[in-house]
Parts: sequence; structure tokens; C-alpha cells
Amino acid sequence: MVEVSMEDVWVEIGGVEVLRGVTIKVEEGASYAIVGRNGAGKTTLLRTLLGILKPSRGRVTARGRGRILDMTRTPPHKLAELGVGYVPQGRMIFPDLTALENLEVAYGGPVPGDTLEWIYTILPELKRFIDRKGMYMSGGEQQIVAVARALVRRPSLIVLDEPLEGLAPRVVKSILDALREIKASGVSILITESGTISRVRGIAENAYGLDRGEIIYSGDLDGLERDPEARRRIWGL
Amino acid sequence: MVDAGFLVAQLVNALFYSSILFMIASGLSLIFGITRILNLAHGAFYMLGAYIMYTVMTALPGGASAVLGILAAGALVALIGLLVEAGLLRRVYGKPEEVQLLLTFALILVLDDLAKMIWGPEYKSLTTLPWGSLAVGDYTIPVYHLVAIAVALASAVGLWLLFSRTTLGKKIRASASYPEVAEALGVDTRRMFMATFMLGSALAGASGALAGPVLTAYPGMGTEAIVLSFAIIVIGGMGSILGALAGALIVGFTRTVMAVVYPVLEVALIYIVMAIVLLVKPTGLFGGREVERR
Repeated sequence: MVEVSMEDVWVEIGGVEVLRGVTIKVEEGASYAIVGRNGAGKTTLLRTLLGILKPSRGRVTARGRGRILDMTRTPPHKLAELGVGYVPQGRMIFPDLTALENLEVAYGGPVPGDTLEWIYTILPELKRFIDRKGMYMSGGEQQIVAVARALVRRPSLIVLDEPLEGLAPRVVKSILDALREIKASGVSILITESGTISRVRGIAENAYGLDRGEIIYSGDLDGLERDPEARRRIWGL
Repeated sequence: MVDAGFLVAQLVNALFYSSILFMIASGLSLIFGITRILNLAHGAFYMLGAYIMYTVMTALPGGASAVLGILAAGALVALIGLLVEAGLLRRVYGKPEEVQLLLTFALILVLDDLAKMIWGPEYKSLTTLPWGSLAVGDYTIPVYHLVAIAVALASAVGLWLLFSRTTLGKKIRASASYPEVAEALGVDTRRMFMATFMLGSALAGASGALAGPVLTAYPGMGTEAIVLSFAIIVIGGMGSILGALAGALIVGFTRTVMAVVYPVLEVALIYIVMAIVLLVKPTGLFGGREVERR
């Protein structure tokens, strides 16, 4: 199992403070949604948590498999080895590789048959285009590959950045069904959402509200909708 | 009526020259395609390969020394590539192109002077090529040329196998498309860039080794090679190995044919072809669409 945390993290991009004193904790076995408007800093928060961006101050720590990683000094690939899968915003499927080759890159070698079968039980549509190159896939197909790619190391936690953005309702339902199944199989989920929380209900039981780089809410998911400060700053209600 | 022996000899000449060009240009294209570093010093690596070959072949007589020379040039230049990548270029990844160009240009000057210090300023040539020659009519074909063509073919097949059949090759391709995503998925992209740079440098070293005994080794010999390599990768397409092969064949054959038919245009025609390709297909014959990197 994996536990990741950020403590008083500040991130500056191009002279602008995008994260301001963020403190969050993703505990073992629990799932979280990070909810905020577009531009609130959700993607920056995830990229900092993964070690892609380095904060100007604060601590980012990952614990799991008997190791503790300081993500402000550790290259991101070490976190994947610890059991953290990642679905980036915009899918970013390697375009000139097939779906299976995308999985092979993330696994670090040929994907074992039993792992592929496990992924097919969660994402049955994948079988249909497993040998198709990324550049010839629809957006929905690419998102299915992006989720499969995050699962291929059988992680304890998967981090998803706006995985439902720009998808047809049928594909959204497919991805949500898959995420519920992933959660039921014991994998923790950390997901960002800029719309309503109804879409992530059943996937995350906890939430952080984020506005202008600050955490404005921390607690259970349903409580976010009842919190007057969060309602005002996130949904303008 | 053109003599058949003459045609065969010219065909082998063109293929030999194309082979050398393919190996140097594929290394340059590979490095640029993956790391986005335009390594001007690639020609200097080619020069070092030629000098290493000369040193090995003058120290050890016999045909086996040529094989040893090619292997030694590939390995030693790969090692130099490793030092350059880890010590210098790693600091300028993602920096403005002029910084990268200035750094790699400075490296040319340093390596040229280093070659003068070690081997002297004069041309270094071998009196005879190893393995003898074959008679075709009134003409002779050096077996060495055929070996060089075979080495280039083997390199092309090896590169194709690496990038299409191995996980390492796919990881390198993934790192070229979206390095940040590849890294977050568990790929050590720093190692991928390093491996790519070493491989590209090894190709430059081996091509210099193959060319050295025929074209002679001298300080600054990399300059012409790098300019022709740019023409090849512009014609074939940046980052494409198949493009490097096609571009090398076009340049190699154009130059060989023009040297016989109309030498005045021997060099100019190459750049005319390049300009036409740029006008008709700016990404080159086999250049794909550009993937936006984050």
C-alpha cells in the first residue's frame, strides 16, 4: 500500500504562485477527489505530488513497500515503482505505439498474460483496439488506454487528472464503471474534478476543495457540497 | 555503350558513400529525434572515429585490425558521447536552441584541437585497404567497400529491431513523445536520453572508422560530414531512421553520379534536392507529424 502527503507546499510557475501552502494526505486504502474550478491548481498539485514539478518550499513524501521517498528530490519514475499509477490530463497516449506497446512501456517489459486478462475484466473494450496505434484512436479509446496503462503495474494508488474531460457520455459511463471496479479491487484513487461531485460519487469518499492554489475544504465528499465557503468559491453559489 | 564493370564499380562507390552517410546521419537524426538536441559536434565524433581506426590499423597489421578498429571507434566514441551528455548536454535540455548550438559548436573546436594535439595537423591515410579487391571487367572493387556497405545494412536492421521489437526501443520512443508522462509511468527518461546519445555517438564513431581508411583522417573532417548529414535528415525527415536511409541514398547517388556526369554541380545538386523537398514536404520524405512535448 502507498501513502502520499504534501505539507505546506508552495509552487511557483513563471513568477506566479500556483500552489500556496497546500497540505493534503492520501492515506492507504482511502480515495479522494480534488475539486476546484479550471485554473485552481489541480493539475499543478498532482504534478507536484508525482515529483514532476518541484516546489519552492514544503515537503512531498511517499511511503510504501518499506520505503520512504522525498518527492522533492526523487525522480518521478521511482514513485511508479512504489505502486502509483498515473492518468495525465489530455490522455497523452504515446501516438506511434499501439495500445499494447503503451502498456509495455509502463510495465517495463512484455505485459504478463494474467495482468492483461485482469485489465480486460475492468476495461473489456480495450481488447477491440489493443493492437491499434495511439494516433489512430478516438479520444474515448485513448482514455481507456490511459487508464489501462496506469493499472499495468497493479498499483496501490492511481492518480487521475480530469479523466472525464471532453468525453462522450457513453465513454464517461465506461470510465466511471471501470473506476468503481478498480476501487472495489482495493486500489486507492486520487481524482481531480472541475464539475459537479456527483460524477465522482462512489469513486472517492473524501474530498479536498481547491481554489486559487489554496486548500479551502478537507473532509468527506458529501460535506463539500454543504460547506458554504466551498460552495461560494468553487461553484459561485 | 557504357562498360558494365564501370557501372558496377560506380554502383558500389555510391553505395559505400551512402553507407557512411547513413550511419552518421542516422546517429544525428536519432539524437535530435529523441533528445531534441541538435548536436553540431556529431561531425567531430565522426572525425574521432576515423582517427581511432587509423591508430588501430597502423598499430596492428592485418584485416582483423580493421574489424577491431570499427568496434573500438564505436565503443570509445560512445563513451565520449556519454561524458558529453552527462557532463554538458544534460544541463541544456529544454533550454533555448542557441544555447545548445553554442555549446555543441564549442565542442567541435575543442575536439578538433584535441585531435591536432594527439595526432598532429597532417592528413592520416593508409596506403592499402584491408581484404584486397575483386575484379569486375577492367575495374576493381575493394572488398573493404562491400564490408562497409554490409556494416551499414546491419546497423539499419539493428536500429529497426531495437525500436520496433524491444521494450528499450519503445521506452525511448515514448520518452521522445511525452518525456514527462513516460517518467511518471516508471520510465527513467534520463537513462533513455543517455542511451540514445551513446548509440548516436557510436554510429558517428563507427561511420568515421569506416570512412577513415578511404577518405583519410584530418582535423575538421567532421564539418563537411555534418553539413551533408543535415541535408540528409532534412530530405529524409528529422528523427526518422528510414528517412536517414532514403536521404543518404539520395545524397550518395546524386554525388557519385554527378561526379562522373557533371562535376560542377556535384555538391550544389544535393542542396537543390534538399530545397525542393523542403518546398514540397517541409517535414521531409519520412518525417511524421510533430508531437507537442510537455
